[in-house]
Amino acid sequence: MEKKDIIQSFKDSLFTGLIALALFGPIVGLRTVSKGEGLFITPQWGVVFLLVGLCILGRFLININSARRTEFKIFSTLSSKFSSITEDKAKHFAITGILFAVVFPFLPFTDRYFMDVAIMILTYIMLGWGLNIVVGLAGLLDLGYVAFYAVGAYSYALIATTFGWSFWICLPLAGVFAAFFGILLGFPVLRLRGDYLAIVTLGFGEIIRIILINWYEVTNGPDGITGIPRPSFFGLPFKRSPDEGETSFHLFFNLEYSTMHRIIFLYYLILVLALITNYFTLKIRKLPVGRAWEALREDEIACKSLGVNPTNTKLTAFAIGAMFGGFAGSFFATRQAFISPESFTFIESAIIVAIVVLGGMGSQTGVVLASIFLIGITEMFRDLEQFRMIAFGGAMVLIMVFKPKGILANRKPTILMHGDKK
Amino acid sequence: MSNLLSVENLTMKFGGLTAIDDLSFDAKNNQITSIIGPNGAGKTTVFNCLTGFYKPTNGQMFLHKEDSKISLRKYTDFKIAYVAKVARTFQNIRLFPAMSVLENLLVAQHNELMVASGYSLFGLLNLKSYRDKEQLAVDKAKYWLDIIGLTHRADDNAGDLPYGDQRKLEIVRAMCIEPRLLCLDEPAAGLNPKESAELNKLLKFIKTEKQTGILLIEHDMSVVMGISDHVVVLNYGKKIFEGTAEQTKNSKEVIEAYLGVDE
Repeated sequence: MEKKDIIQSFKDSLFTGLIALALFGPIVGLRTVSKGEGLFITPQWGVVFLLVGLCILGRFLININSARRTEFKIFSTLSSKFSSITEDKAKHFAITGILFAVVFPFLPFTDRYFMDVAIMILTYIMLGWGLNIVVGLAGLLDLGYVAFYAVGAYSYALIATTFGWSFWICLPLAGVFAAFFGILLGFPVLRLRGDYLAIVTLGFGEIIRIILINWYEVTNGPDGITGIPRPSFFGLPFKRSPDEGETSFHLFFNLEYSTMHRIIFLYYLILVLALITNYFTLKIRKLPVGRAWEALREDEIACKSLGVNPTNTKLTAFAIGAMFGGFAGSFFATRQAFISPESFTFIESAIIVAIVVLGGMGSQTGVVLASIFLIGITEMFRDLEQFRMIAFGGAMVLIMVFKPKGILANRKPTILMHGDKK
Repeated sequence: MSNLLSVENLTMKFGGLTAIDDLSFDAKNNQITSIIGPNGAGKTTVFNCLTGFYKPTNGQMFLHKEDSKISLRKYTDFKIAYVAKVARTFQNIRLFPAMSVLENLLVAQHNELMVASGYSLFGLLNLKSYRDKEQLAVDKAKYWLDIIGLTHRADDNAGDLPYGDQRKLEIVRAMCIEPRLLCLDEPAAGLNPKESAELNKLLKFIKTEKQTGILLIEHDMSVVMGISDHVVVLNYGKKIFEGTAEQTKNSKEVIEAYLGVDE
């Protein structure tokens, strides 16, 4: 390497250090400590210099490396290998994944905590698959998807607490309500695309949340809805001591009572719901309406010139995507037994969109990987408390650097004329 | 030869600008009618009026069926292709680049397939009636792909095809809606002489074998003069000449306004 290059990269690293100093100086360097009456500032310059030093050194090493043109070769070969594996063996991969998901609750290391995380990941997978219809297939960037999740959760909660109907009646109703809201949102945004659509959907998400907070008579405002009925196993409740005339799950199957029964049941419930979403999406993608969604994403004007009705096509995408969001919402409500507007903030929408985009737009397997990666990483770093969002952000940056089109970006045609060549 | 399309006193104004000024012409069944003229003469605007992208300020456009005629003004947007069966291609190719060639041709048959799939219900149940209809649609796509010689690339992404093939694919995609009138906006732009010759062959085939009239905007005179039955020349939104290719070539006004003289 030439001397000129070294000087150049040294200058560049110093500049990086300057930026790092500007950022870390006030954020890390000036720590506020509350003592007695008020807040006092305790400087931590040592830590700042350590961080800035690390940044300078890191940047310098990267610069030297890229001058030698080795530039993360390991990573790029790894990632290309990874995608070729999943491409060739997508089917095996999916079957193994489903089998693993089925036996997961009975693995020796699985405890209550793992089950909770798994249920959370599956919920996000289902939401990701639902949103994938709108964003991945139809290409309509929806930043307010959490609204449908909220509509589903609240419809379930309100119907179940008011009428006392069972989960299996409330679930489809919640889906229908969410789909209705999907169409309601769809109408005003028919003419919008891209950034403009994103802003309006973002506003829609906020409107729903604010209505939930302020419509006290119906939604109980910020206090939320409590006492949402838990699902039962085909009429057998998960209770230690069932009411008179009722048999509970553990008595019926002659098991010792355990709270894990309900958790395992919930796990299978969301697994089945998610798999239904996936199956439905894979099927509908191969139908004319699915092809029309993708065509609309590719070129709306060309669609019109071929006689495809863009209004109906968009509305079905919104409605079906919203319906699955609604199903996931009802599941959320019955799992938590308590919901409040707090659970449906913008960050939820952002996470779901991130999962779809990072997974690779339109890729079903990509959504699974991205959910496990993003939710799993934030859970792994739970001990870091507020810094775990850094892990979340870091994970996103890593994916975008090495896989700018998402983890699995390849699209398979929905129909083949010559059959599979491989 | 019966009339297919008659345009009567068509006027299109954008604010103070008159893009088309009182234009009238006819196009006949099984004929190729070319619209030529310098850039900015209003050729593409005529297409946009015909295909429902613009609503003309004035004038009428009629598509003749056996004994009745339908006014194209009544239809806008996707209904022009769906109901009136007027198909078009675009000056800058508008394929669905990330979808396969076959999928592109199936989207063009969306409306029939949608009905066949019982608005997705029969399709989800995977009924035989739908599968048969889908097979028919694939056969139709194959028929057209055989004609343009792209059958071997049916499963490749449309965006990966060479430019000339993309042009041809866009034309056969429009043909998949079985149009009565096919409007082609500069189909030969960017093609080499060999590809232009192939395009001529394709257009002649469509003209003679299918019940379709063709309206063509083109700057490539080898295409226009080679295949046009009728030529309409526009300049500044006005029709300055109308006649056969031979007459057009020798018309003084046309040479002055557009064709120019050989040095």
